[in-house]
Amino acid sequence: MAEVILRHIAKAYPGGPKVIKDVNIEVKDREFVVLVGPSGCGKSTLLRMIAGLEDITNGDLLIGGQRINDRAPKDRDIAMVFQNYALYPHMTVYDNMAFGLKLRNMASDEIRQRVTNAAKILEIENLLDRKPKDMSGGQRQRVAIGRAIVRNPKVFLFDEPLSNLDAKLRGQTRIELQKLHRDLQATMIYVTHDQIEAMTLGDRIVVLRNGDVLQYDTPLALYNQPANLFVAGFIGSPPMNFLPGRIVNSDKKVSFESTGGLVRIDLSTSIHRTALASYEGREVTLGVRAEHIREQSIGLSRDNYSAEMDTLIDVVEHMGSEILTYFTIEERRFVAKLHGGATVTFDQPIALFWEVNKLHFFDTQTEQAIR
Amino acid sequence: MLLILAAVSFIYPFIWMVSASLSSESGLGDLTLFPVGFTGSNYVTVFTKIPLDRAFLNSSFVAILTTGLVLVSGAMVGYALAKLDFAGRDWIFYLIIFTMTLPFQITLIPNYITMVRFGWVDTYLALIVPFALNSFSILLFRQAFQSLPQALIDAARMDGANEMRIIFQILIPNILPTVLTITILTFMGLWNEALWPLIVIRDESRMTMPQLVTLFSVGGRAEGQLGVKIAAAVLLAIPIVILYLFFQKHFIRSMASSGLKD
Repeated sequence: MAEVILRHIAKAYPGGPKVIKDVNIEVKDREFVVLVGPSGCGKSTLLRMIAGLEDITNGDLLIGGQRINDRAPKDRDIAMVFQNYALYPHMTVYDNMAFGLKLRNMASDEIRQRVTNAAKILEIENLLDRKPKDMSGGQRQRVAIGRAIVRNPKVFLFDEPLSNLDAKLRGQTRIELQKLHRDLQATMIYVTHDQIEAMTLGDRIVVLRNGDVLQYDTPLALYNQPANLFVAGFIGSPPMNFLPGRIVNSDKKVSFESTGGLVRIDLSTSIHRTALASYEGREVTLGVRAEHIREQSIGLSRDNYSAEMDTLIDVVEHMGSEILTYFTIEERRFVAKLHGGATVTFDQPIALFWEVNKLHFFDTQTEQAIR
Repeated sequence: MLLILAAVSFIYPFIWMVSASLSSESGLGDLTLFPVGFTGSNYVTVFTKIPLDRAFLNSSFVAILTTGLVLVSGAMVGYALAKLDFAGRDWIFYLIIFTMTLPFQITLIPNYITMVRFGWVDTYLALIVPFALNSFSILLFRQAFQSLPQALIDAARMDGANEMRIIFQILIPNILPTVLTITILTFMGLWNEALWPLIVIRDESRMTMPQLVTLFSVGGRAEGQLGVKIAAAVLLAIPIVILYLFFQKHFIRSMASSGLKD
């Protein structure tokens, strides 16, 4: 069993503020968990704490049920893949992969077998005699993963391993990593700032900001039920649209009214109407994803969609299967993901409909979701 | 043209020195590039009068061993200053840099007294230990280690390497130009050092070449024969010249990178 448990984990540098604040995460055996967040949120620090490369100020770190706070990195049975690969430049690929095994006094036959097997899995058998400088970024990346695989560790840690690759290679490697996880059946913890990587790779995702865990859940749960304004804005591409306003309750009819008064949405059919009713008169922020704004009412149930809203199109991006349409409401840039066949033109008025039950509401003060 | 003139002005004294060492005593007045009254007797005299072969071995032993120690100690201290976090790290570094500003002559007497107290006078220890750690090598190692990514060290730690293995098996092979620079400059400095051995060594069997040659030249044993003195100086310079010819490319690079000249 290689379950990883972080219990009240905190980190502070001497004389400085806490960079990791009371983090509680349980990673199940063979689970692929992604730590995601903006630069400086503490995700890499947290990963390095798990690896043993950073001290833990408070809390308990358990792997396979054993507390390992004070164990050296080499004694944690963990392998790590670094952002810049960190291959030893003066060693061949074979030596890079074999180095850790040699230090463990493994028999040379066993080392050769492990390196060859890993090389076969990663299709780098023909590179074993090369040095890192003679390889492309993608090949170095594979070697870095190979160096981790040969160790056959309990837990794999990945620190933004795809960020130095070009977009195409990143997409390919993402798929290969998923396959690798399936084949190795190992526990993996992966750090990225790219929410697409997080969504596509993770069984579960930890969203971090300023050393705090804001939400820990499956990709779909994060997307569909963000716990707060930050997660709602961070997860999803294009990002969620936000509009500040307040809840109005007149004639027992709950509705949202934007701060500028331009938008008024009847929420009497909303699944959140009861929770929202208690927010009467208070400031809330409405969130709507780009794909939940439609351009035509044909086939749309009036119960599910808000009244049409006429707006002028600022920018149109044709993506092929869909059109990203940008428009402005009360000086806020909005984006709608319309069907590729829609007829939208720059500077032309268009009637847009908002899917009422897909709207998100957040307490503007606390930034927490209202449900 | 100016460059040629400069090159000639630098090389001429050396060529004259070699030529003079092979000239007869009467031919030394001519500033010619070729020996006048060619003779090898000056060299024979040097070897007859002083144990230069023994001094050569002493110098080689001291210079090689001390250079090795400088590399090991400099790498370890430089690594600690570049890559380890501990209280007072920067202050220690500034202190080490400060010692670079002190002329050797200032520490000469205190160092000599220390040698006396340790009972190291007239031993190889007096020639080796005071030079086994030097601030210049620490500075160069620190700068070189700082230029290497931290991930390289982290990866080695994850692989199970201890700090010594990280320094000598992972980092050092990636800063070889720096290692070569330190090796060349340290070896040269040690080889040419005459003042310190003159103070701490009196037993002729433990004297280094520069010490012996200096004593020979100014101590009266050359009996005023300029040719013999010059021959001794040539013999002193030969090992460095041979080293230069072997490592010419690196030698020039090391001088350029250190921004120093001897």
